[in-house]
Amino acid sequence: MADKPKVAICWLGSCGGCDETVVDINEVLLRVANAVDLVLWPVALDFKYDHVEAMKDGEIALSIVNGHVRNSDQEEVAKLLRQKSQLVLAFGACACFGGTPGLANFTTKEDIFNWVYRDAPTVVNPEGKYPQPRSRVNGKELTLPKFYEHVFALNQVINVDYYLPGCPPPPYLVMNAVSAVLEGKLPPRGSTLAPRRALCDTCPRNKTKPSRIALKDIKRIHQVEADPDVCFLAQGIICLGPATRGGCGESCISINIPCRGCFGPVEGVADSGAKFLSALASIIDAEDDEEMKKVIDSIDDPAGYFYRFSLPVSLLRGKRS
Amino acid sequence: MSSYEPKLVCFSCKFGWGYLGNEEALAKQIKNWVPIICSGKVDSSHILTAFRQGADGVLILGCRGGDCHYQDGNYEAKKRVHLLHKILESYGIEKERLRIELSIDPEGNKIPQLVKEMSDKIAKLGPVKKFGEPAKAVAVA
Repeated sequence: MADKPKVAICWLGSCGGCDETVVDINEVLLRVANAVDLVLWPVALDFKYDHVEAMKDGEIALSIVNGHVRNSDQEEVAKLLRQKSQLVLAFGACACFGGTPGLANFTTKEDIFNWVYRDAPTVVNPEGKYPQPRSRVNGKELTLPKFYEHVFALNQVINVDYYLPGCPPPPYLVMNAVSAVLEGKLPPRGSTLAPRRALCDTCPRNKTKPSRIALKDIKRIHQVEADPDVCFLAQGIICLGPATRGGCGESCISINIPCRGCFGPVEGVADSGAKFLSALASIIDAEDDEEMKKVIDSIDDPAGYFYRFSLPVSLLRGKRS
Repeated sequence: MSSYEPKLVCFSCKFGWGYLGNEEALAKQIKNWVPIICSGKVDSSHILTAFRQGADGVLILGCRGGDCHYQDGNYEAKKRVHLLHKILESYGIEKERLRIELSIDPEGNKIPQLVKEMSDKIAKLGPVKKFGEPAKAVAVA
């Protein structure tokens, strides 16, 4: 056991889908388990954080960390794994960009607490109690992690060596990443372990895209019966393909659902939402203000759509209050 | 607040604005002035970057409707601005802080005037709120 590289898999603010995708590499997982020494995987194996704390710094070869950071517990685990690991891989859209939970940055912490503990119709809280990091019950002190003002991507909390985006990342990229680590064939630090170009580049519908798209009307996918072979944008359905990194295997496109952007920005782009906005604006067919506004008003929650997975790492990061 | 002077960034297309004027003299009157070739070149990320770096407002001056040297760059910019208004509001930034004007002014004398007008309006709004300011404590009973 001792000479095998140690690997930790851990979730922070996460739904479990990223851990599921690790399991989805199926029997390859058994080979991986033979080649490495798993030292932490809260979803699947019974190791304790104490075990990790007892390790030497840098003793873990690779930590695969999924999920965003929004509370002090998640921050603590992220920092512990950073300290004990030679390499940290941000795994999945939440760790890479904040993910869908990052949309909470369009709301303040105050509004979230007021809704969840006071205003939601299903809440009964006559004493107006809100969870506190410390409270005393029957003479004993109880603690809870501190809930932060914002959602953070992993690299806003610790240094990250590699990124593997996706919601969740597809199993073939997981296998590529793991074999690259095992064989020592990793690209320069800071790289994203996925193709560099936009999804449209490999989209099977690309050839159906007219040379110039001109939209007078924007529809949502559930309002129409989308043609399964034609470019979504050409059909007036918002598809984030032009501004999203490819590599997902077109899993949404192939079931007739437009791209929602879980692979984040293409190489070299900071703010994929802004890039998509420019792309979409250019295919809206309108010249006067009224026409422009009419088309744009028909887009439901454009900010939420364009930044669905990437708000915490966007240029403006979230709502100002 | 009386001494507050908003930080404004002004992008203006060289084809329609100030091409006959004295650029140096104008630049002295207009802070953060970015003359460009075609307002259509101003990408959404340029505008968001201006706000990220502390701008209180962004003014884009493009050519008159139908007069774009590149056919429709000014309309492209305008569509982007309309979409950005929606996005900025989600970020808690008032849409009045981003404005586009399509017109022509070869001497460029109107530029300082338009900047001043917008600046006065923004002064009433105050500075853009910051992200990550120590937020108000969560309401506790």
